[in-house]
Amino acid sequence: MSGGSCKANGAVYPASSAGMNSVKKPKMEQIQADHELFLQAFEKPTQIYRYLRTRNLIAPIFLHRTLTFMSHRNIRTNAKRKTFQVDDLLQRVERMKGEQESQCLASHLQLTFTGFFHKDEKPSQNSENEQTSVSLEVLLVKVCHKKRKDVSCPVKQVPTGKKQVPLNPDSNQTKLAPYPSLLVSSSEFEPSNSHMVKSYSLLFRVSLAGRREANGLVNGEANENIDVTETPSRKKRSSSHREEDGSTETYVAQMTVFDKNRRLQLLDGEYEVSMQGMEDSPVSKKRATWETILDGKRLPPFETFSQGPTLQFTLRWTGDAGAKSTAPVAKPLSTRNSDGSSPMETRTSHHRAAPLAVKDSLSMDIQTRRELVQCEPRQKLRIFYQFLYNNNTRQQTEARDDLHCPWCTLNCRRLYSLLKHLKLSHSRFIFNYVPHPKGARIDVSINECYDGSYVGNPQDIHSQPGFAFSRNGPVKRTAVTHILVCRPKRTKPSLSEFLESEDGELEQQRTYVSGHNRLYFHSDSCMPLRPQEMEEDSEDERDPEWLREKTATQLEEFTDVNEGEKEVMKLWNLHVMQKGFIADNQMNQASMVFVETCGPFIARRNLCRNFLLHLVSMHDFNLVSLATIDRAMARLRGIQEELGPDVEPLEPLEHTLETAASCNGTIGASGGGSKLGKRTKCGMND
Amino acid sequence: MGAVCRSRSTMVLTGKRSEKGPACWKRRVKSEYMRLRQLKRFRRADEVKSMFNTNRQKIMDRTDVLNQEWKTRRIQNILSAYQTLYVSPLRPQCTVDSGFSEFPKQVIPLKTLNAVASVPVMYSWSPLQQNFMVEDETVLHNIPYMGDEILDQDGTFIEELIKNYDGKVHGDRGERRPEALVTSSYTRACRRAGCCSRNHSSSNDSSKKFPSDKIFEAISAMFPDKGSTEELKEKYKELTEPQLPGALPPECTPNIDGPNARSVQREQSLHSFHTLFCRRCFKYDCFLHPFHATPNTYKRKNMESLVDNKPCGSDCYMHLVQAEEVKSPSKRPAAARRRGRPSSRPGSPSVSSETKDTDSDGEEGTSRSPTPVTLKLTCEPEPVDWSGAEASLFRVLIGTYYDNYCAIARLIGTKTCRQVYEFRVKESSIIARAPTEDEDEDTPPRKKRKKHRLWATHCRKIQLKKDGSSNHVYNYQPCDHPRQPCDSSCPCVTAQNFCEKFCQCSSECQNRFPGCRCKAQCNTKQCPCYLAVRECDPDLCLTCGAAEHWDSKNVSCKNCSIQRGAKKHLLLAPSDVAGWGIFIKEPVHKNEFISEYCGEIISQDEADRRGKVYDKYMCSFLFNLNNDFVVDATRKGNKIRFANHSVNPNCYAKVMMVNGDHRIGIFAKRAIQTGEELFFDYRYSQADALKYVGIERELEMA
Repeated sequence: MSGGSCKANGAVYPASSAGMNSVKKPKMEQIQADHELFLQAFEKPTQIYRYLRTRNLIAPIFLHRTLTFMSHRNIRTNAKRKTFQVDDLLQRVERMKGEQESQCLASHLQLTFTGFFHKDEKPSQNSENEQTSVSLEVLLVKVCHKKRKDVSCPVKQVPTGKKQVPLNPDSNQTKLAPYPSLLVSSSEFEPSNSHMVKSYSLLFRVSLAGRREANGLVNGEANENIDVTETPSRKKRSSSHREEDGSTETYVAQMTVFDKNRRLQLLDGEYEVSMQGMEDSPVSKKRATWETILDGKRLPPFETFSQGPTLQFTLRWTGDAGAKSTAPVAKPLSTRNSDGSSPMETRTSHHRAAPLAVKDSLSMDIQTRRELVQCEPRQKLRIFYQFLYNNNTRQQTEARDDLHCPWCTLNCRRLYSLLKHLKLSHSRFIFNYVPHPKGARIDVSINECYDGSYVGNPQDIHSQPGFAFSRNGPVKRTAVTHILVCRPKRTKPSLSEFLESEDGELEQQRTYVSGHNRLYFHSDSCMPLRPQEMEEDSEDERDPEWLREKTATQLEEFTDVNEGEKEVMKLWNLHVMQKGFIADNQMNQASMVFVETCGPFIARRNLCRNFLLHLVSMHDFNLVSLATIDRAMARLRGIQEELGPDVEPLEPLEHTLETAASCNGTIGASGGGSKLGKRTKCGMND
Repeated sequence: MGAVCRSRSTMVLTGKRSEKGPACWKRRVKSEYMRLRQLKRFRRADEVKSMFNTNRQKIMDRTDVLNQEWKTRRIQNILSAYQTLYVSPLRPQCTVDSGFSEFPKQVIPLKTLNAVASVPVMYSWSPLQQNFMVEDETVLHNIPYMGDEILDQDGTFIEELIKNYDGKVHGDRGERRPEALVTSSYTRACRRAGCCSRNHSSSNDSSKKFPSDKIFEAISAMFPDKGSTEELKEKYKELTEPQLPGALPPECTPNIDGPNARSVQREQSLHSFHTLFCRRCFKYDCFLHPFHATPNTYKRKNMESLVDNKPCGSDCYMHLVQAEEVKSPSKRPAAARRRGRPSSRPGSPSVSSETKDTDSDGEEGTSRSPTPVTLKLTCEPEPVDWSGAEASLFRVLIGTYYDNYCAIARLIGTKTCRQVYEFRVKESSIIARAPTEDEDEDTPPRKKRKKHRLWATHCRKIQLKKDGSSNHVYNYQPCDHPRQPCDSSCPCVTAQNFCEKFCQCSSECQNRFPGCRCKAQCNTKQCPCYLAVRECDPDLCLTCGAAEHWDSKNVSCKNCSIQRGAKKHLLLAPSDVAGWGIFIKEPVHKNEFISEYCGEIISQDEADRRGKVYDKYMCSFLFNLNNDFVVDATRKGNKIRFANHSVNPNCYAKVMMVNGDHRIGIFAKRAIQTGEELFFDYRYSQADALKYVGIERELEMA
């Protein structure tokens, strides 16, 4: 950066370093240290913004002109949107289709011929006497769509008129004789009935009476490209030509008016067309390519203009005969590109860009071109950027005379836009606007609260790299909500919003997005919640493992409850915990479900009588009916019979008891007055 | 160190052989005591080691499972994925240039991994979906660590904290010095002393079982506070006696399914079930209600008549009885009518008194019972063996089924009804009498015509309760005052609670909440339950739908969400405000139930003690439940504990009476959208419900 990064381009110049100038004799080291601090504060963000600027030029993510505060960069208006209706779409397309023609229909092609220039090798003074004009015939050639059996495209030639064109008029001549002019009616460009016309072109045929063959000049037919190319300098006049006497010679040239895509190729302007001596019909040879050869050497395309016979004319599209030009005139290159900060925006609004211009814009270096671009409203507004650093104790001031952003050189054109842009696009800094008699002062300081953290899909950070591509089947992804359209209530643009505010901006903190735009975690393990785990709540079980274990150990702790009772109680507790019964009148059903689920276990463990005791106890509590006892026991007997006689004895039960007892040993005393410090049921109701 | 000790003790032992004085004995006792202590310490260390190893094994197993799972996943090479996906001139690239010509230069796109923010701190907690009551902690379990600087700043804090627990800190070694240990655990020390003396006796080569007095003298001299020699002897006897394997404590009934089943009384058989069953949670030894009412006092609401008057088979006892009844026809119907009444009398909390009760019951039965003695057998009883289990079972069932011997026989399974009947006759002395109708006079029953008036007045009563004492909500405890109506002496009335279905009073009690008769959603004040800040009771409100659709989530009654656990799916993520936050998965409407705030239920005093620590941590999960209890979600809780405080919240908390328990429901204060973070106002939830700062409450009381 070396102190220059803040001076974003040449337009920025150090106006005054207020902090430094105040000191009379600043020591060198002091300046150095100060500069170091300055760099420390501003170097990194500035580099980041320079990088982003370049990236935005090459691959823009958004267009500045679409931002509301940059709306003046947008040339198009949205006025039509208000009246827009879907039904109009078709109509509009139809109209547009017609318009292409109607544009031609509406305007006639007016050709005003300045003269026919033919330079001869041997200038003859007497030629003027002999002939001052040539006869020009203009034909409109319509190349129609090839029908299936035709070998070549059908061509129709429509004569539009014959004129006498002055031969080699002297450009110095001040006499303004009315140039011969010719009008091609718009109706000619209408689609003809018989054939679909593919392209229209003008064929100029100049007949030079009594002219000899120009010796040594062999002009091949220029290819079509040259023909239609408008001259880069239209005003160029060739030096005075002389013509030669001889027999009638015919020179032809062809220019495309509409190409086969029905694009207008000829815009308003002055044209100089090089003509070729006619030996053949140029139309029939359109497929051949030609090079201009002079004396056996290749002639550069533009040389033909100085050599060969040329026809000069002015072309105008007129609404009606003799009216002003209606064809859109391409703007000069510089003005067209001046608006854009990125190449995307340099796209001209005209659909007929001159090929040369496009070539030019591409070849031109973007950077240098931008340097040329100047801010068109030349307000005398000076912006002072005051850089505050070192805990706002030091400052440096730089000034600019334009409204370009110092970091991305974007021409904001308005002070409000500049401030808004700075604030929104360069949020690593804090900008505070201070009115200034000469313009504005902007205090720039480092935003300590800048949150440069990742704002994309939160799943992407945490997901295992490569996991998304490992497919054993479909992989679920989390839906992430992003704002596409947000229309907060807009306040009227006012510079006061950039003044340093006392109260913190609470509204900025509010998130406008609703939806799941964050990464969730498992509440037990703090592990990121994977997308496929989003749907079911893994942590909402009524009977988490620890609670199941807890109820079992708690029952095991009792010393005066026998192991059979404990087993049934544990089973029942787990059953109730899992099902979450809440009402007395659920108990009958609960008991039956209990038999269904735990019946085999009860039978295998030989706990049937204990189960019966449990049921009787429930009945004593008035929770189950006698019928339920009967039914439950009958079902249990059924299950017992299904299992068969080989019911295991009590062995596994005692095993569990043992483990539980060893467990209890580690748990320790919990009072209760029993011998071993364990709990007793009698102690419960003390 | 241990080895040194041991060698010294053996040296002492060998040295002791020669001399026989009391000093020598004393020394031996001391060394033996030290040895035992040592042993205990080793055993303890081994226990810890094995515990650690088993835990470790568990972790390894779990890791293996996870690793296996990962192996089944196919992971695509990250480079190839990125190479194909992101080729852009702007993307930075990495070049590896080996410098040797035979190895080509390799270029791959540089993939920068984003910095991942660390998650906020979370202290471990256990998930719960229902409150869990815990006792007050009398010892400080650990000295909280909150960073050195806090301790440096406020050195007195820990001191004060320990003072709150009367200086008791868990695992304090100072407490466990030998003497103190001996004094604190009297029994254990005595047993040890016993062992010690036994060891001595064996080392003494004395063949007799009982150790010599000298040993006891020495022990008592060594530990004078353990009592005299005689006392030690007694203790020794007591401790050495029950050495029989598989013996159970005397108060424990043997397993009825086991081989040692004994023939016991009905009360004894059912004692465990009766005392441990929580009638409110339907669980044994539940986590929420420390006091369980025994069932004896519950009254049967509806008389069940399950008499099958038909004989169960050709061998049915009825054939006998019918033959008998020809002679004395008046007896049978009377007995049948009394069927379906619980046997014993109200209120007998402890075992000893209960067994006595049963005995006296039996006596009463014999003296007063009108039926059984007259039954006589027409034919000779076949000699049948009744095992202890069968006899016990019979006594249990006879208390429920009375003289439906067919049913009893069916349930016992191993005996025919005839055998049962015969046994019944034999056992007639202990058969509980069927209660007579006139006994049931605990609470004067309301008359039917009164019912309507009650319905009209109860709303007024609710209203009265509401504005009378909104600030004082007391915990509900089922009342139990036999033979007395629920008047001003009833604990429910004094606590301004309604009597619930768990109360021992009559269902016709004036103080009972009658439930609602809504047909709508019970979410307006039209519903008396909603008005009384109660959830609809599925056993009382039978029309609103609270007692239907147990399995489905869409119940017509919207006032039973807490009890049904119809909570919303919540998601945990770092908060936008501070620490962790909780986010809702699906949108909810205003006033919709979101979740219950669950946690440990602790007393107010305990909350004060805990609150001191939480305040220091600047993080509290305490939530006032009522005047008696506080919910603390610090150690146990559910996800809603992560909801943060806001002055402009989107949720509110409401303490509701849910089937006799106060529970905290979190409801939507406004419509909440998908993915919003949930907040509620810690300060104003239900009349300064949350005591965020314990000190605040003290000031208020002062």
